[in-house]
Amino acid sequence: MANTVIGSSIMIDGEISGDEDLVIQGTVKGKISLKESLIVEGSGVVEADIETQNVEIGGQVTGNIVASDKVELKSDCRVVGDIKAPRVLIADGASFKGNVDMDRK
Amino acid sequence: MATIGKGITIRGTLTGGADLNIEGQVEGHINLKNHLTIEQTGRVQAEVKVENLTINGEMLGDISAGERVSISNTAKVKGDIRAPRVVIDDGARFNGSIDMDVKLPDDL
Repeated sequence: MANTVIGSSIMIDGEISGDEDLVIQGTVKGKISLKESLIVEGSGVVEADIETQNVEIGGQVTGNIVASDKVELKSDCRVVGDIKAPRVLIADGASFKGNVDMDRK
Repeated sequence: MATIGKGITIRGTLTGGADLNIEGQVEGHINLKNHLTIEQTGRVQAEVKVENLTINGEMLGDISAGERVSISNTAKVKGDIRAPRVVIDDGARFNGSIDMDVKLPDDL
């Protein structure tokens, strides 16, 4: 379990940055930039541009995602935005609207 | 229960109804209906409105609490406090004013 958990009744409007794993069960608006993994759980609502290494989305995300490693869209998630990452996984049942760019150099 | 870990920095407004533990950095505004704890590693530079506040770390900004503010001996606090109950431990560093909304007798 990650050290930082934004609980379901917490709302953040602004910028989150850091170098450790983050779990979002609540609401975040603004911008997220992390050096590690971000997990948006089923109850999580994110309206933000995301820049991180790994993202796992089970909740709702609106915004562009740039990941240096992997983006995983789980079933029941709703994602609107463009994804840029070398590895993108979309599970059966996930809703997604946007572009995927897996451009590997 | 929510926790902001050591490696995390938040800039902006944080609102909510759950208890919150801050081990990292928060700048901006915090509005909470429950208990906020600033751990020893935590650094908060914000206007804080909470019900209960426990400070073990560093806090810069004005505090308004519905019930109680507790400043422990490891804390460093700068700002004005408004709360019915304020506890400052021996060894704590505090700079600012405290308003406990005490009703003074009329003849004073």
